[in-house]
Amino acid sequence: MLEYVHKRHHCKLLNPCLNAELQKWVGKYNYPHTTRGITWRRSQDADMEKDARPNWDSPMQFVLACVSYAVGLGNVWRFPYLCQMHGGGGFLIPYFIMLLVEGVPLFYMELAIGQKMRLGSIGAWTAISPYLGGVGLASVVTSLYLCLYYNIINAWSFWYLFHSFQSVLPWAVCPINANRTAPIEECERASPTQYFFYRETLNISSTIEENGGIHTGQALCFLLTWVITYLCVVRGVQSTGKVVYFTATFPYVVLFIYLIRGFTLHGAVNGVKYMFTPKMDQLANPTTWINAATQIFFSLGLGFGSLIAFSSYNQYNNNFERQAITVSLINSGTSIFASIVTFAIYGFKATINYENCLERTRILLLNTFNLAEDTINMDNVFEWIEKLNATYPEQFNEIANDTGNCDLEKELATAVEGPGLAFIVYSEAITNMPLSQLWSVLYFIMLLLLGVGSMLGNITAIITPLQDFKAASLFLAGLVCLFCLLLGLGFTTTSGNYWFTIFNDYGATFSLLFIVLIEVITVSYIYGIKRFEKDIEDMLGHRPNWYWKIMWVAISPLLLIVLFVFYIVNYIMGGTPTYQAWDKEEVSFSFFF
Amino acid sequence: MLDKILFLLCLASALADERCMPDTPHGFQVRLSIKTALGDEAYVWNENEMFLFRASLAFAMRNHMNGQQFEVSNIIVCNETMRVSFWFIVTSPLDTSQLIDQENVEAAIRQSRNRINSAFLLTDKTLEFVDILPTLATLYTHPTPPWLIVFGVVMGAVGAGIIIMLVSSVVQKKRKTNGKPQDKDDDEETRVKTVENGDAHDGVHNMSFSEDERFTKM
Repeated sequence: MLEYVHKRHHCKLLNPCLNAELQKWVGKYNYPHTTRGITWRRSQDADMEKDARPNWDSPMQFVLACVSYAVGLGNVWRFPYLCQMHGGGGFLIPYFIMLLVEGVPLFYMELAIGQKMRLGSIGAWTAISPYLGGVGLASVVTSLYLCLYYNIINAWSFWYLFHSFQSVLPWAVCPINANRTAPIEECERASPTQYFFYRETLNISSTIEENGGIHTGQALCFLLTWVITYLCVVRGVQSTGKVVYFTATFPYVVLFIYLIRGFTLHGAVNGVKYMFTPKMDQLANPTTWINAATQIFFSLGLGFGSLIAFSSYNQYNNNFERQAITVSLINSGTSIFASIVTFAIYGFKATINYENCLERTRILLLNTFNLAEDTINMDNVFEWIEKLNATYPEQFNEIANDTGNCDLEKELATAVEGPGLAFIVYSEAITNMPLSQLWSVLYFIMLLLLGVGSMLGNITAIITPLQDFKAASLFLAGLVCLFCLLLGLGFTTTSGNYWFTIFNDYGATFSLLFIVLIEVITVSYIYGIKRFEKDIEDMLGHRPNWYWKIMWVAISPLLLIVLFVFYIVNYIMGGTPTYQAWDKEEVSFSFFF
Repeated sequence: MLDKILFLLCLASALADERCMPDTPHGFQVRLSIKTALGDEAYVWNENEMFLFRASLAFAMRNHMNGQQFEVSNIIVCNETMRVSFWFIVTSPLDTSQLIDQENVEAAIRQSRNRINSAFLLTDKTLEFVDILPTLATLYTHPTPPWLIVFGVVMGAVGAGIIIMLVSSVVQKKRKTNGKPQDKDDDEETRVKTVENGDAHDGVHNMSFSEDERFTKM
């Protein structure tokens, strides 16, 4: 007999026999809204419950999980760089076109597959076509590669976060050498922030061949990161679903606070103006369009199997079409939001550097020509340079190299991406803000949440297919985390950053393009677009628009093939891959093969 | 007689001036940046300030070379500029024709740098002795690095969280295996209850089947 557990409404009917009949009739259909009102459960099926798939507590959890996964560090440190390189505001045009043509249709497709098959990536692709289970396996392996190296970034974020609890931020000043005469030479020639990152955080060696020992502090932070990741996935979607409420929303709070702080900084407007002035000539460059397509592709996290894993825990009739569009738009919106903040910070940093340069030039002029202190101020430095050059040419020639190279445009044009932006440029800007400890803590917590959110998606992408094969083991998640932890310790060695760069640049990019290309071709041609349409109608109640079908069948595969060919050509023409190494003596980067 | 003394004095002072010159091997250049340091509260550099400087330098020399009574006249200054920079040399109090060598002067200044700075309300950066490197203050080194403390707190909290999770899931499992045979009995009871007690105590009372209409209306 049916037994019901009421969550909100107590349904009282007259006749208990009629009650039972009615319930049998009602129980046949799955109404989406019943998940919130009344949960129906068959008492004799209680044994089968253990094998029944766990679900998200509400569709909101699923949306937040997808947002938390898609909105990651790339939105903060890759998109602003691309925006700057490819013509500022003008870059938004190819970006949005690629979002519509490539991003949303592929995202929609992955969600549909997961929700329909209700299995992880291996099981889902095997169900679609028995010969194509390998696609799922490829997704799992790529996710594994990412899990190995991605958490080291979170370890760095923890390291910086823990070091923010000091009266003077350690990357604000250079430590003094043993003689107490001057700061440490390496630090003086670079900058305190670079020194802190390369020497004290990484203790980086000169080449990838030199493997020193493990950096203990790094290893501890790395261990902490994996413990936290384990804590978030130990109960599957029950625990992940609660965590994503925080990891998806708090970064926006911090970004908003930084937006206000950023715009009130001195010189921030210079940066934002620089970013948004569109240089339309960049649109003629094909690299711009390729980079826009690549950015959309990797930013949404397609091909890792995480989206399939997440949506496999959905209710069968969940309206994923609306959710796909929402999440993609939120992801792109966040990129733009983050780049406004980044450019405000850039503008601030460039203005500070420019003014410091002017100040140094002013003092040099005063000291060399023994003029009274208040004759030269910041506004007339350049006039005085010309005047002094004309009146005392020989004396001026001696210092000519050090003067006249203060340029605000040049400062703004230095574009940085990747960990360099997050850990060097941003932390330098933070040291110049009043109350820097507070800003530092906020910022690194935001980086942590962005990173951990993306990690959860990738760990779920590995665990879900494995759980489909055998009975859910409490220790499966733990074993995966332990395995990744032990292998990932290699990234905490002195040459670890070079290995990290290799993995970051080459580990997943190629494979993902190939995986998603096979996915979309499979769904459109091997599985058949008609069957796919019917499945979606079964789940949503209506067929997908002609727009989606054209994208899946023609445009997206074509675009992916173009991207793929471009990558191969670039790879072949690029010669031997190189990496940048930090030279302790030169205190700069040298290229190695 | 007076003429001779005057001539000798002029000669002496001329000699002294010749020894003090830019790039002298016996002295140092000093540079003050008063306006940078004090802004609106900057004082004007005049002869009195120069006298104070010479006096504080004599004080530094007395501190360093014990026993020798340096006077203000032993500090000779030349080449004053608008920048407020000048050169100085130090003569020995015992014999004014002898100059104190650079190492001693440097050591004396290093020793009393703080006192000289505070006499002028300036810092190591704004009262520059060119070619004398200031002794930099080391940052306070904590016995336990503070980051380790924060790490310990966070790690402890996370570890406690994991233990709680594992223990609670084990406890839940135990409860399920103990509670299952009881659950089935409860089913029978509730079903029987719904049959016997027509209306439960919670929920919306369905007015169309109210028991008040036991008695039909007239």
